[in-house]
Amino acid sequence: MYTNFMKETVITYDQVFKTYKADIRIKKKALTGLHFQVQKGEVFGVVGPNGAGKSTALKILMGFVRADKGNIDLNGQSPTNPASHKFVGFLPENPCLYEHLTIIDHLKFCARVNGYSSQESVQKIQNLIDLVDLSHSATIPIRRFSKGMTQRAALACALFHEPEILILDEPMSGLDPLGRQLVIEIIREYNKKGHTILFCSHILTDVERMCDRIGIMCNGKLASIIKPEELAQNVYSQTTNGEKKTPLESFFLKTVEEQSL
Amino acid sequence: MNNIFAVISITFKEGLRQRILYGVIISALFVMFFAVLFSGWFMRDISKIILDFCLSAVSVGGLLIPFFLAVNLLSKDIERKTIYAILAKPISRTQYILGKFGGLIALAAVVMSILSASSLVSVWIGKLLYGARFFTDFSLLAFTQAVLMSWLSVAVLIALVVVWCCVTTSAFLATLLTLFTYIIGQTIDDVVRFLSVDTVGVEISATVEKTVQVVKYIFPNLAVFDLKLQAAHNVILPFGEFTTIGMYGVCYCIVALSLAVLIFQKRDLA
Repeated sequence: MYTNFMKETVITYDQVFKTYKADIRIKKKALTGLHFQVQKGEVFGVVGPNGAGKSTALKILMGFVRADKGNIDLNGQSPTNPASHKFVGFLPENPCLYEHLTIIDHLKFCARVNGYSSQESVQKIQNLIDLVDLSHSATIPIRRFSKGMTQRAALACALFHEPEILILDEPMSGLDPLGRQLVIEIIREYNKKGHTILFCSHILTDVERMCDRIGIMCNGKLASIIKPEELAQNVYSQTTNGEKKTPLESFFLKTVEEQSL
Repeated sequence: MNNIFAVISITFKEGLRQRILYGVIISALFVMFFAVLFSGWFMRDISKIILDFCLSAVSVGGLLIPFFLAVNLLSKDIERKTIYAILAKPISRTQYILGKFGGLIALAAVVMSILSASSLVSVWIGKLLYGARFFTDFSLLAFTQAVLMSWLSVAVLIALVVVWCCVTTSAFLATLLTLFTYIIGQTIDDVVRFLSVDTVGVEISATVEKTVQVVKYIFPNLAVFDLKLQAAHNVILPFGEFTTIGMYGVCYCIVALSLAVLIFQKRDLA
């Protein structure tokens, strides 16, 4: 788990701006000076309302989208450099794999691009398939998979080369409670090995359970960063219309309301 | 290179698993049957009719790849974000484009090889049924030249599909642009020839002439790759001419793919 002694920065967003052309005349500001850092070995969770810019931030970090302004550093390299992806595993939101191929085909592809020999990869592929609990569906094409199974298959692909940094966009979306528990356990185990995890999620309870630090994104920038223990120390719990909220929910709503003013 | 081959392999596998081979094999059986059947109606020209029919089938089979599979595999990759599964790995956008192109031309090669083999079987059945004297004109070299050039024209078209898929996010628009390119490529040679001949009473405006000249240099002249007629009449293209046409196709693919890479490097994959 993250401690104050671990200060090596592996991900840096330095005043990052991004505007999309929503239409010929309409422009949408996705990021408006995003600025934060993620330290080595920590689990950093980003939460925020829809359209806050969470996914855009991750896509910029992966080099899929170019920032208009600002610097992004991924383990000392530019995200647009494909070599930086050697140390990174990425799970996109609603992952879409090749429908007619099996999870084995996808993992063989991962093995090939990461320089594994076919002998080395056989055992590794089997272990990963077992890890994500898809051994009964290993030879079935992805198009026959449920959303949750596809999510777990994509996670296996992201974990294949044991990346130092794991970037997850809504890793728990579409998963049933069992699937969610499995993914949480995988992420925790992965973090215990000293790997860094940055992820976005809408499910605040999962974020609260898993993260060392939580960033709340609003209107394209990080409005606040808090540690789960700080949430527990401060009384953020509140009741609205008789509905009890968790400390993170209360803090999240308070921050978003403040930013909207 | 390993990364390019990995993308070629995954593209090829995904294409094959879309069960195109079943369709191609059924088409090959139809071609064999109808080529033999129809050619019997044209005594003396049996060999020409069989070859013309079969080589047309090879071309059409090859064209299915750029028009249907290439747009499907490339445009949908970007549209449905399957591309993230590739680009999240240490693969550059250039390697992705080259890998996709490689996978698609490999698929075209497999499809056209199956149809070519069935064409040769048709010729063999034709010889057995109608007699070898009708096939004295048949040349395997001319047939091979025609098939190779047909494959090269499909490769050029696939390179252009890659360009259009990098330009537009819409699979429909990419298909439409490819269709326009194909029509222009097939007809531009005839249009230029028509304009170069002075016809009494017909005046061509300078703007039209200039436009045609520009189009001629931008779009590929696909008609030069069409050697069906030569193969049907046992005309073997001299090595120099064959190589020149081949180089033209290869150069066009290189230019188109370079353009695609340039566009794709700047594109946001949001």
